[in-house]
Amino acid sequence: MQELVLIQPGGRAQEESARETALAEARREFESRLAECGPLAYRVARGVLRNSADAEDVAQEALLRAYRSFDRLRDRSRFRGWLVRISYRIALDRLRSSKRREQRDTEWGQPEHQPPSPTAEDLAASSEFQVRLERALEELPEKLRFVLLLAAVEGHTIEQISEMAGVSVGTVKSRIFYARRQLAEKLRCHVNLSRTR
Amino acid sequence: MPCEPFQDALIEAAASGEEPRGELRAHLKDCAACQAVFDREQSLFAGVDSGMRVVANAEVPPSLLPRVRARLDEVTAPRYQAWLPKWYVLAGASAMLAFFFVLQSFRQPGMEQKPVETSANTTQASPQTNSPQKEKPSTVAAPNSAFVVPRTHAYAERVHVSRSVSNAEPHPEVLVPRDQEVLLALYAKEWRGQKPAPMVVTDSNDSGLKPLEVPPIQIAELDVKLLAESDAQ
Repeated sequence: MQELVLIQPGGRAQEESARETALAEARREFESRLAECGPLAYRVARGVLRNSADAEDVAQEALLRAYRSFDRLRDRSRFRGWLVRISYRIALDRLRSSKRREQRDTEWGQPEHQPPSPTAEDLAASSEFQVRLERALEELPEKLRFVLLLAAVEGHTIEQISEMAGVSVGTVKSRIFYARRQLAEKLRCHVNLSRTR
Repeated sequence: MPCEPFQDALIEAAASGEEPRGELRAHLKDCAACQAVFDREQSLFAGVDSGMRVVANAEVPPSLLPRVRARLDEVTAPRYQAWLPKWYVLAGASAMLAFFFVLQSFRQPGMEQKPVETSANTTQASPQTNSPQKEKPSTVAAPNSAFVVPRTHAYAERVHVSRSVSNAEPHPEVLVPRDQEVLLALYAKEWRGQKPAPMVVTDSNDSGLKPLEVPPIQIAELDVKLLAESDAQ
């Protein structure tokens, strides 16, 4: 049996105008959060990648992805944590792919691994301890690194980190504890050596 | 007092950032070496924390937000435009699919079959002289059920359609013995008419419709001659 649907004249135009209004509303709301959360996305990416240019690309990508899926985020109060997780995942993916690329380049007979050329900002921040710390941070398990980064970024509280990471407060505390201890173990030699000099 | 039992507690106290308590606190008061190690551990953890703050709170490039806004502008416009063609494509594909299924429901096996049809060049006279590739076993009349061809209602509609299609083609010539011409004429009349012919199109499963009982055609032995031979005559 054929089913007929009555279409009101002008219904389509109304639909389109409603959609446009919704889009404009979503854009406005996203923009209001962009100024607040954009830097956070960048800092999380920078903490993982240790390179300003890459971090900027990743933050941009994360923000665009967040915008595209913004209408699917029902609880807008979770935007911050959601964006942080997107940014962290993209940064990790990029880090892994760049590591694979470096490995491939090495295998293809390049003389030595050349780290990405540091920016002026990178150079300013790179004391020997800092460099070692960042290397040690890179070697941390992802879960520990994530909470430690969040703890360091913009002075988030344990509760905020718990919400952003989607784990309990106790888990956040223990992860931060183990992360700091592992970093300290990796850096202890350096500290002892520098004291004996 | 030996220092070894306090080593782990000392590091854990430094890692947690809390002041040492209990026995450890008492030991640190008495042991200068352990106090020195504890101070070193505390400064190490402080260094880790301050280093982490440097890592994590890098200056945000001023170009970040303008770049993101520009990309958002790019994304927003084509997003809406790209959405419409997708819908059109989907709607078109759905319509095509629906049309295909409707067409398929008409195109059952034996659709193009006509109950009585022969090629114009065929000299064999028989009411069931369909071309061999179109013929189906179910359409061949059994000796006792001559024209009773069990079919579904869908087939009845198809016959109707195919009939209108075949109107464009020249009518086939059916050769039957002289004593069966009357019957054939009757059948042809039914066939050309627009009303459905129940004697041809009936549903064997439908108990409400009974096939029309038609006495079997008595086909006399045919005198088949080659075309060339008949032309010569």
